[in-house]
Amino acid sequence: MNDEALLSVRDLRTTFGSSLTAVDGVSFDVRRGQALAIVGESGSGKSVTMRSVMGILPRTARITGGQAYFGGRDLLAIGDKELRKIRGREIAMVFQSAMEAMNPTLTLERQLTEHLIWHGLCNKAEARKRAVRALGDVGIPDPEKRIRTYPFQLSGGMRQRAMIAMAMVTEPDLLIADEPTTAVDVTVQRQILDLLKGLKDRGTGVIMITHDLGVARYFCDDAVVMYAGRVVERAPMASLLDDPRHPYTVGLLGSSVEVGGRELALRPIPGSPPDLSRRPVGCAFHPRCPRAELPRCQTEQEILTIGPDRDAACWKVTVDA
Amino acid sequence: MGLAVYIGKRLVRLVLSLIAVSILTFTLLQLAPGNFADLQRVNSGATNFGGVGTESMVGELETRYGADVPVWKQYLIFMKGAVVWDFGPSYKYASRNVQDIIAEAFPVSATLALLAVLLALLIAVPVGVFAALRQNSKTDHGTMFVVTLGHALPSYLSAAFMILLFSATLKLLPSGGWNGPKDLILPVLALSLGPAAVLARYVRSSMLETLREEYVTAAIAKGGPRRTVIVRHALRNSLIPLVTVAGPLLAALMTGTVFVEALLRIPGLGLYFANAAASRDMPLLMGTALFFALILMVTNLAVDLIYRFLDPRIRTVGGVSDDGH
Repeated sequence: MNDEALLSVRDLRTTFGSSLTAVDGVSFDVRRGQALAIVGESGSGKSVTMRSVMGILPRTARITGGQAYFGGRDLLAIGDKELRKIRGREIAMVFQSAMEAMNPTLTLERQLTEHLIWHGLCNKAEARKRAVRALGDVGIPDPEKRIRTYPFQLSGGMRQRAMIAMAMVTEPDLLIADEPTTAVDVTVQRQILDLLKGLKDRGTGVIMITHDLGVARYFCDDAVVMYAGRVVERAPMASLLDDPRHPYTVGLLGSSVEVGGRELALRPIPGSPPDLSRRPVGCAFHPRCPRAELPRCQTEQEILTIGPDRDAACWKVTVDA
Repeated sequence: MGLAVYIGKRLVRLVLSLIAVSILTFTLLQLAPGNFADLQRVNSGATNFGGVGTESMVGELETRYGADVPVWKQYLIFMKGAVVWDFGPSYKYASRNVQDIIAEAFPVSATLALLAVLLALLIAVPVGVFAALRQNSKTDHGTMFVVTLGHALPSYLSAAFMILLFSATLKLLPSGGWNGPKDLILPVLALSLGPAAVLARYVRSSMLETLREEYVTAAIAKGGPRRTVIVRHALRNSLIPLVTVAGPLLAALMTGTVFVEALLRIPGLGLYFANAAASRDMPLLMGTALFFALILMVTNLAVDLIYRFLDPRIRTVGGVSDDGH
């Protein structure tokens, strides 16, 4: 375990039902004031990873292994009662769509203050003041008036900001943002990213779950690339963009528009991510990999260290070097 | 749209609907073979359906029940009274006006209906939530099995069974009549079982749907205690659509429940309606039919108003101000 780390996840395994392993041995660290991107296509297990840490998995899912250290405690071991004290207070979460993640029949005031009260952080009057301030901080004009409205009465961008205010009102140490820009207009995307960047600069640790490397590069320091429930590459953001090593990362970069300021022809990765109940043997990416060599790719790939703070799960990277 | 305008529009539609109902009911009743006069003759033994009575008797009855007045005129005369809540005297209960019968019988049926729906809700909400929180467990399946049984059991059967059990065998409760609070217990129980089952299923599925909403997960992610999240975020929102089911249910019970009222000898509206239909008592039939339609429409209006009150999304539709972007 890394002493500096705010959150340190080790070898996390989460399964659905009896056999479907959605997250398979995932590890990463986030430091204070640092932003980590967890990148992958849908179904790669990036959301399930963070929901495991938060203890908000659906009922059919079970965590079958690993640790998640946060402030000296293993979040996966302390039990729901203790975890509840941390959720929403020390670790907060921002969801993909505020339209869905905010209760349509409760006012912003109720939704921005209730967890302050749950966690015993302040009384109702003080909570209201803090909520108004939080709305103002995320750039919502006239927060005194807005706080009395319902989420659906706000525009998409405003609603997304209100959700961020809801997460930030307790001043958490770590913010988990699950595709926070996917459901909003491009013009709003930038505003949301700037907002998250501002939080990071003020010392909050941020974990950004995204499928979009363009979004990730905007303010993330490090990146973890996931495929079929496993980490395939881990690197500082800049090195990852300049010099992607795992063939999947290369493919992901090739299929995203305008990354790293370079002109890239769009080359989508052929095929689609595997059905996790029928995971390919060995490297799960090999059926789609342009560089695959059988039978070597059909054996389990170890995570190989390939440089300072860099590793990748592909034997080819040692051949390349 | 202002609330007053909304209600105004709804009231206009209500009146138009009532007129339509009156024309339809009147026409259908006229088209049906036989009439009160015929039945009187047959029942008094003066003639049979096919046969003829004495000329004077036929004439006398037809004059008394207005057969010599053209049908459209009959309708207009009736409606002229109906507008000022005067449906005229009943044929069968010749000493009483239809509106007096309604005024006397409706409170009986309405009391039963209100209590039955209330009891049904008190049973259904906890049962539905309980089952939803244990979805697909044995408790869930067991509960829903019992609920299905309750749904399938007609109220007159459960009423008969309860009379046997509580009145005949245990001798705890009166087997019928309408004299005191004790007489309420059996009919309310019998009437509430079916609705309780319907509502419980509804609460369960609505609750399951709401529990899957992202905002419930988000509330848990904010550190909400399970019970608080379930009540404030899930239960509240899953009960809103329940109003649309409970409303019509209440209206249906308020307009009388023929079987239970007959079995337990309760002088409710259902009993009068059934008797009116059997004896082709035109004024009573028309009066009660119109009254039922009115109750149903007023209930629906009330449901919509309550819905607006409970769900801010509907309350403010059209009046939404955006953030000025």
